[in-house]
Amino acid sequence: MRGDWRNRAEHMTNPFREDLVSRSTPEPCTVVIFGATGDLTHRKLVPALYNLAVDGELPPGVKILGFARRDKSDEEFRTGLEDLNRKVSRSGHDEEVWGSFVQNIHYHRSEFGDADGYKRLAERLDEIDRERGGKGNRLFYVASAPEFFDDILEHLKDAGLNACREGCWSRVIVEKPFGTDLATAQHLNEVVNRTFEEKDTYRIDHYLGKETAQNLMVLRFANAIFEPLWNHRFIDQIQITCSENLGMEGGRGGYYDKSGALRDMVQNHLLQLLSLVAMEPPTDLSADGVRDEKVKVLRSLRQWDTPEKVADNVVRGQYVAGHVDGRSVPGYREEDRVDPESMTESYVALRLLVDTWRWSGVPFYIRMGKRLPKKATEISVHFKSPPDVLFSAAHGGLPGSNVLVIRIQPDEGISLRMVSKMPGTSLRLEPVKMDFHYATSFGKSSPEAYERLLLDAMAGDATLFARRDEVEEAWRFIDHIERAWHDVPGDQQPAMAEFVAGSWGPKEADDLLRADGHAWRRL
Amino acid sequence: MSETLEMHPELGREVEIGSIDRELHQLWAEDEARTNASLINLAVYSERPGALEENSRTIRELTREHACRALLIGIDRDAGKTSIRAWITAHCHLSHGHKSVCCEQIAFALTGRATGRLRNTVFAHLNSDLPMVVWWQGELSPIFSERFHGLIDRFVFDSAEWRDPRESFGRIEEAMEHSRQMIIHDLAWSRSHQMRVSLAALFDDPVAQAALPAIDRVEIVHHPDQHCAALQLLAWLAVQAGWRDGLELDLALSGESRGGYSFENQGGVPVVATLKADPQSAAVGALVLRGGEVTVEVRHEAGARFLTRRLEAPGHAMEAPGPVDPVAPAEVLGEQLSRGGRNRLFLKILPRFMRLLAGREDR
Repeated sequence: MRGDWRNRAEHMTNPFREDLVSRSTPEPCTVVIFGATGDLTHRKLVPALYNLAVDGELPPGVKILGFARRDKSDEEFRTGLEDLNRKVSRSGHDEEVWGSFVQNIHYHRSEFGDADGYKRLAERLDEIDRERGGKGNRLFYVASAPEFFDDILEHLKDAGLNACREGCWSRVIVEKPFGTDLATAQHLNEVVNRTFEEKDTYRIDHYLGKETAQNLMVLRFANAIFEPLWNHRFIDQIQITCSENLGMEGGRGGYYDKSGALRDMVQNHLLQLLSLVAMEPPTDLSADGVRDEKVKVLRSLRQWDTPEKVADNVVRGQYVAGHVDGRSVPGYREEDRVDPESMTESYVALRLLVDTWRWSGVPFYIRMGKRLPKKATEISVHFKSPPDVLFSAAHGGLPGSNVLVIRIQPDEGISLRMVSKMPGTSLRLEPVKMDFHYATSFGKSSPEAYERLLLDAMAGDATLFARRDEVEEAWRFIDHIERAWHDVPGDQQPAMAEFVAGSWGPKEADDLLRADGHAWRRL
Repeated sequence: MSETLEMHPELGREVEIGSIDRELHQLWAEDEARTNASLINLAVYSERPGALEENSRTIRELTREHACRALLIGIDRDAGKTSIRAWITAHCHLSHGHKSVCCEQIAFALTGRATGRLRNTVFAHLNSDLPMVVWWQGELSPIFSERFHGLIDRFVFDSAEWRDPRESFGRIEEAMEHSRQMIIHDLAWSRSHQMRVSLAALFDDPVAQAALPAIDRVEIVHHPDQHCAALQLLAWLAVQAGWRDGLELDLALSGESRGGYSFENQGGVPVVATLKADPQSAAVGALVLRGGEVTVEVRHEAGARFLTRRLEAPGHAMEAPGPVDPVAPAEVLGEQLSRGGRNRLFLKILPRFMRLLAGREDR
């Protein structure tokens, strides 16, 4: 009888969905999380699913199956999740909703490399499907340490879990880091694509789930005043800043010292933001429509493919002991789990050039660093100055040009700096700011990035996920820099600059912009 | 310093009509630490005595999530004395614990013949370029005319407050003919939003979807004051499921059950719908669809904080909670403002709702 219903329903649509939500509809599925005992699962993924349930956005019938190596019962697993959900959930913790939600959470113990564990997983998923009825959709979330990615994907394939039944789907979400260089990313992509079709592969970059990142396309393409100015004729330079006041607390030095700022943040998050800022208007808002345009930007990046070019266009740095937020902090090399002779950068600043008609000659500057004065991520678009024939030095000159700032975090919003006449009988010009704050204008809190992204994956919408070619193009650009830093003889390597923790980075990074007649925006 | 009149504990500083802008400016100049935020002009119209104070309290809550310039309008058309009075204040809230974000409020009390000056007096104080939302409370009065609704971008009303919904909806339809830019929102329709979302979520399940052609019974339980909400919900079901009106069965039903409505689905199967008024019910307390051995239901027990969504079929059972619609009018309005949009679905079901409304009243 149930099978009969499934067959009948295959080509039907749900007439009651019309106009109730302006997004693709997420479908019921079982979410299998690899690395289920880890921090990401407890702090982000399960609270995100819980909050979707609170908002009524989670399709009824969604089951969660945690897959990890530690020995745990369903109850123990649920208790651990509940403890953290109480602390971190965006909407608080409601016993009634949690009581219902948690019934759908189960635990599956297995080593990541144990083929038998995946066979038992397949049996358990079939059992869940039988109990739940309806479709047997599966969403595999690979949130384990990266060294297990290959094993997990290969074993999913061997157990037949990558294939879906007719009318159902089987998708995989892969967490960062997606490789450590181009070769490993290509290898991982081959493994993924041997296992899942590209259309069923979701490489997550949680920056793209943030409200302001999503708003970038709306800002550019839904406001007629910006797009005509969005090119080399009117824009002088663009800066992307991601500063963090934290260092290596909580034992993160072990991971970070193997990665560094360039690979940890620039290769994924910041190049994704750059793509959204610099891309051409897509032909439509489909996932591939948008990603086709983003990847063209990455392909157009001028390659810094010699140590000399890297030295001229990239600055790497490490902080030395200083003060952040009034506290004394150690230098990078004195941090917990960091090699005392480490040559890993905790700070990086780059000059990038996008060789397209639109962006010819416009430098894009990216900087990212730990132990900077404050936590902030923003994009600033600096427009060219108008001709100064009217407001020349005799009138005090122009106090800077127009700057459009898109704040990603915290205090998401958009501001525009303009020049205005100061009140008075003389002609004195000063900059003023028009400021839009999401939190002030919209009292309602935005969903967490993971909520939006999980829902999109359930709905089959990959727009906010990175495609294979995007990831590889980004690595291609990054690889040249990494090679210049680490693979050439020591005396030819670009120097490692130092700066005092709590300052805005090394002097060399300031010089990078000064050479172009620019300066970093003061945050 | 301008001359000010008396201070009202809820409405703030009383000001001369001609100096409202100057007084507002002064209000902001007094404290530079505050941020003035506004995304819409929100006019709240009421002819109920004491409504200005009550609506001011409502706006204070509403502005936690919806930054607006609020224009409260209190009207007494029957008063012998002709007068216009105005008060200004600001509702301030801490944003993220540190920044004080404030929304301006101007309250107007118009009595007697001065009510004819409403448009020129009140609407001279809109925040330019921002959309104009009017929340009309109570019955539509003669003031709801073309000169009035021609200025409105969104018109919010509550059909639950109307003695004669058929007549009032007729006036709304006329207004929409004249003011085509105007988007309408019935708070009664908003009260069934989560009920509809929950039903839609249940019908994502292929078992429920496959059972839809076999659904032949519908039951809606509602509070006696929320007949329009229930009837709109039924109209939505019928329109979305493609059910035609089944007049013969309807007439047959009318003798035995006043709450009965009949339809015919796309396969010619008769569908009988029953509306039950229950004073203990939430606004819309239950929506139950049955056909063969399948039951799809969404229930909102009075006072419960969550809906119960349930699907039952042979060998297949599913139950999950869903969010409920708010009860207080300000919260319902707040949810509606958050959703925005052109409310196309409501316009789509409106003709069917009007037919159902007419059919019921003709009996």
